[in-house]
Amino acid sequence: MSRIPCPESRVRMTLGQIRDLRCLEFLLTNQNSDGGWGYHPALPSAVEATASVLLALNATHQAPAEACARARTWLVQAQRTDGSWPAFPGQPQGCWVTSIASHALHLQGGARNAVERGHRWLLNEWPAESALWWRVRQTLFSSRATRQNSSLCGWNWTPGTASWVEPTAHALLFLRSLPANMHTSQGVKRRQSAERMLYDRMCPGGGWNSGNPLVYGVAGVPRVGPTAWALLALREDEERAEIQMSLNWLQGAYGTIHGAASLALAYRCLTAYGRRVSPLAPALGKLYPQNRFFENVLTNAWIILALNEVGNMAVPTAGKAAIR
Amino acid sequence: MSFAQPSLMPSFTRPASRVAIVRCGSYDLDLSTLLFEALREFDLPVGGKKVLLKPNFVEPDPEGIVNTHPAVVGAVREAFLRLGAGSVRVAEGPGHERDSEAIVETIRLSDFLGPLHDLFVDLNLDEVHAVKLRTHASRLRELYLPGAVLEADYIVSLPKLKTHHWVGVTLSLKNMFGIVPGCCYGWPKNVLHWAGITPSILDINSTVRPDFAIVDGIIGMEGNGPIQGSPKASGVLILGDDPVAVDATGARVMGLDPTRIDHLAKAAILLGHMQAEKIRQLGESVASVKIPFTVLPAFQKLVASNGQ
Repeated sequence: MSRIPCPESRVRMTLGQIRDLRCLEFLLTNQNSDGGWGYHPALPSAVEATASVLLALNATHQAPAEACARARTWLVQAQRTDGSWPAFPGQPQGCWVTSIASHALHLQGGARNAVERGHRWLLNEWPAESALWWRVRQTLFSSRATRQNSSLCGWNWTPGTASWVEPTAHALLFLRSLPANMHTSQGVKRRQSAERMLYDRMCPGGGWNSGNPLVYGVAGVPRVGPTAWALLALREDEERAEIQMSLNWLQGAYGTIHGAASLALAYRCLTAYGRRVSPLAPALGKLYPQNRFFENVLTNAWIILALNEVGNMAVPTAGKAAIR
Repeated sequence: MSFAQPSLMPSFTRPASRVAIVRCGSYDLDLSTLLFEALREFDLPVGGKKVLLKPNFVEPDPEGIVNTHPAVVGAVREAFLRLGAGSVRVAEGPGHERDSEAIVETIRLSDFLGPLHDLFVDLNLDEVHAVKLRTHASRLRELYLPGAVLEADYIVSLPKLKTHHWVGVTLSLKNMFGIVPGCCYGWPKNVLHWAGITPSILDINSTVRPDFAIVDGIIGMEGNGPIQGSPKASGVLILGDDPVAVDATGARVMGLDPTRIDHLAKAAILLGHMQAEKIRQLGESVASVKIPFTVLPAFQKLVASNGQ
């Protein structure tokens, strides 16, 4: 197995090293003829899968330009007229994948109009708890089952539903990647509210689950995926105690992870924060023979992103201080 | 899809349902033989069919409390193959945990099924098709559903015997939330919550009604289920050809009154039988295996009165 760069080494993974895990080869081999990727080989192209692969190819800096161009074209064509992206082309409603598609196209370059339209849709897409009737209901009939501040709005999975951790994190990652001249006052307010919402939804001992930190007075159990996404989205708050507590939880969980996708996400997150963790490739190498990661396209993309994390999550174009 | 019984049929015209209760105190027993013998009583039309098992896999839980136990899943698969099924695949779309591989590897599913890459389908990430819902209990009119579910000839819901902090119990009907694909609706599938959990349960099951249900009640969960409750050794497997009847029986075994469980009471109108007199009981009686589950205070009203 190839040597994997530790955070200190700041060495970018070479194409050859990635090929040893066969992730890049797997992705390039399984690009659909329409230019997109399905969640599994031979399945219809999906927006999240295609955008995630595009992010991964972008991170390697060594992917074939033709594969990237075809994927970019597919994504642009999949965008709805209102600026959003649906999970699959032709579906009647945009959803959370808009953040990931916008992010991927923004980092790729060459689709400015599509990115701006996606950006506008996101800023105008409010979760259900922002509605007046919901706030009145919460005031009058406050639920004792859960504990959360419903005045803080992030992003939902699908229109007409509530804010959850992961879609909020994806939106923040995209917004953070934008240049300063695209940060509107509305965007700054949404971002601040979303960040506060993430802290509000943190589990009492650190880490995140999908978004229920407390149910019937019992502390929610954090999960690797939501914790990693939330931490990646809040990376500029590294000094905050909540972040350090959550990193500690994730670092402690790292050795117990049995899924390649979770392992890659946790590694990506921990190395982004400079935490020491055991190399990713040997752990993946143990998992691979059992089920070939179920030939999951997202998993392979996330592995490539994890192996290229160092430098890929550099200080954003516009620092937090500059936009607040 | 082809169903042994029609999905929607007024209760008064539906023939009696059959439910068997099998005592089983441990996952180490020969579950395959136990289940094969019990299933043979039903004379199921599965010869050459594509059977899909839908367990309840929620999150990586090495303790075997939260998820349908892999030993049960493996034994059910083996039993259906012995009954002549053409293929038996296992499919799940966990509602909170995106990493299905982490769940099936943590519970060591492959120890009981062998290599999983051709057997296990992640319903959250399958291809999807728009399906008109057959009832309109919720405001949902259609859902995107996974190809693996729509292509199956025979669907078996394989839940765990658990309490649930939103709807009282989670058994074979609630388990069908897992066929709704996360890639379209997210994790959790919040659109179902906003459309109403009970109405969504009804609409999903009216459209894709499980042909058979087998509840893993060897060790169940009481209290703050379906994730944070306490293990409850119940020592039973409950199986039958009507998911409503199976769930009603499961609730009675838990010491709960199914008529007070909203989604069961409503499901009994068109989806199956809840009344004991409409359920032909095989194997053990409910009374002989009844083991009261503790419930959250909010669900104390579900507890059956003495003698029920």
